[in-house]
Amino acid sequence: MADAAPPSKSRDLDKLLLRPGNLVGPTFDPGVQLRDDLQEYARVLVVGAGGLGCELLKDLALSGFKNLEVIDMDRIEVTNLNRQFLFRLEDVGKPKAEVAAKRVMERVSGVIIVPHFCRIEDKDIEFYNDFNIIALGLDSIEARSYINAVACSFLEYDSDDNPREETMKPMVDGGTEGFKGHARVIVPGVTPCFECTIWLFPPQVKFPLCTLAETPRNAAHCIEYAHLIKWDEVHSGQAFDPDNPDHMKWVYDEAVKRAELFGIPGVTYSLTQGVVKNIIPAIASTNAIISAACTLETLKIASGCSKTLSNYLTAMISTVKTALCRYNGVEGLHTKVTEFVKDKDCLVCGPGVLIELDTTVTLKK
Amino acid sequence: MNGEELTEQETALYDRQIRVWGADAQRRLSKSHILVYGMKGTVAEFCKNIVLAGVGSVTLVDDREVTDEALSANFLILPDENLYHGKTLAEVCCDSLKEFNPMVHVSVEKGDISTFGVEFFGKFDAVVISCCSLAKKKLINQKCRKLSKRVAFYTVDCRGSCGEIFVDLKDYKYSKKKLEETVECQLEFPSFEDTISVPWKALPKRVSKLYFAMRVIEQFEDAEGRNPGETSIADLPGVLKLRKELCETNSVNESQIPDALLERLLIGASEYPPVCAIIGGILGQEVIKAISGKGDPLKNFFFFDAMDGKGLIEDISEPKPVS
Repeated sequence: MADAAPPSKSRDLDKLLLRPGNLVGPTFDPGVQLRDDLQEYARVLVVGAGGLGCELLKDLALSGFKNLEVIDMDRIEVTNLNRQFLFRLEDVGKPKAEVAAKRVMERVSGVIIVPHFCRIEDKDIEFYNDFNIIALGLDSIEARSYINAVACSFLEYDSDDNPREETMKPMVDGGTEGFKGHARVIVPGVTPCFECTIWLFPPQVKFPLCTLAETPRNAAHCIEYAHLIKWDEVHSGQAFDPDNPDHMKWVYDEAVKRAELFGIPGVTYSLTQGVVKNIIPAIASTNAIISAACTLETLKIASGCSKTLSNYLTAMISTVKTALCRYNGVEGLHTKVTEFVKDKDCLVCGPGVLIELDTTVTLKK
Repeated sequence: MNGEELTEQETALYDRQIRVWGADAQRRLSKSHILVYGMKGTVAEFCKNIVLAGVGSVTLVDDREVTDEALSANFLILPDENLYHGKTLAEVCCDSLKEFNPMVHVSVEKGDISTFGVEFFGKFDAVVISCCSLAKKKLINQKCRKLSKRVAFYTVDCRGSCGEIFVDLKDYKYSKKKLEETVECQLEFPSFEDTISVPWKALPKRVSKLYFAMRVIEQFEDAEGRNPGETSIADLPGVLKLRKELCETNSVNESQIPDALLERLLIGASEYPPVCAIIGGILGQEVIKAISGKGDPLKNFFFFDAMDGKGLIEDISEPKPVS
């Protein structure tokens, strides 16, 4: 079979696809047809053009995907440049999605990347339905919840409460913070969705008001006191702007005063910015690893399917019992792969609970 | 970089990573010098990561010409023949890397690395080599070890969808955080030659099959006088024959090194882009840890196989005598 195929630029990918291998599922049928499908028909959306997004676009393009789109509402800042390698100092201020798309197209021939400089909520639901796979490079739980809800909304169940394969919209989700990161695959109806497993995320830090107001114990408490309580007391009406250096300096000075009052060390300007803006510490190498892991999963999904999702579904079940892969670069190294079970009662991806309601009943009751 | 303090520009640019490893580590990084040999996809990824991290300098060695094959996995090369015609791999990559961080001094060193003297390697804090024959790996490692100054030594290779990193930090003292306090640690690393001389029978059975498979291919290339990576499926009979010999010499079962794995490594002489990114990321992290002297280093082999997505660390060293 390999002899008959015309040589392609990506010889190593040819080797993967033109012979049966273990990287794809049992129904996978290797051949030139499929390789062309991969490159010409697979449409992948990358959500986010930041630390993960830049790496994802590069990896997907180099791996042979020809039709990519990227969506990001942010503009480039100086602090992005330590890891978002597609951006230069002179790009500061420009939309991330547009610069990222342009740079990758310059470096990888044949790929088309359409940028969208807007919020994910600004797009019609149907926009997302256009893609075969959605790859997420997001930095918040809220954004992930949103995309998850959108992707799961396409899922339909048949009369036996079985998910209909052709309505499944797979997502590959990556997340990083400092040395740590995760890469996971979500296939609505098959694997747990994001909401099924939301308990996996560490509790988000939110200090009780009484701690801030009465009994601070650490530097972050002092900072948040100045930010959330003292600011309004003094500047009633004027909104706090985290991008205004004078506002930030004011919060810092107030935090220092409070810290001195309670004998708490550790308030610095850098920490103040970090706490107020909820800055996520980030480095290039972790993003590179997690994005690559996501790309591998995206390749597995795409190469296991022809034009419908049904062929790769069986591939999904065997290759992606590994629903979650975690990376920790600081204590030696762990790449742990864990199996999770879908929550059949999940409100977002489950078939739903049948409620029989008397139409005379109102909400008040 | 002049002076002890980070400049205002560095502090702004590196803010997000200073929050991870601290200003002290960032200062050490900005004074470090890295030598890199063999500019394939994995090494290109590694260079991207350390340039973004803000090392002092990166010196590239690779006099080979740019080929179509190099383009398919190396993001540093713009696919424009007018731009790369007549230039070496190192030169093209150098131009690209400079753009990622103008504060890092990126340069090219030409010539045969086997002829470079011990003093040459002494200019660096870390040496990373790829696409190297068995003989060259041993030679460069020995030269680095001859220096009284510690020169961190790494080899890295990707074959298709598998990758391997070897680490030699000689006698390495470092610190790490344990709960609330900082602990001082020390490790002794064996040289590459000593490591691969450890009898296979002495190693635990669960050691990654990739370790053995890579050694077989490596020795095959050495015996046949091939350039690293110059293998194909046609070599399978010869490789299986060598495996038989090596397993007999080492008194281990041939099933330790599956046929299928050897096949994949033979065919996949070129690199798979996502695997390059993963290995390049892990290697970047290791070099950053070694330069900053913080955090447990990888000792002493790392293997990655895209088929199962698992990364494994193997400590291949002489078993300690039982007292």
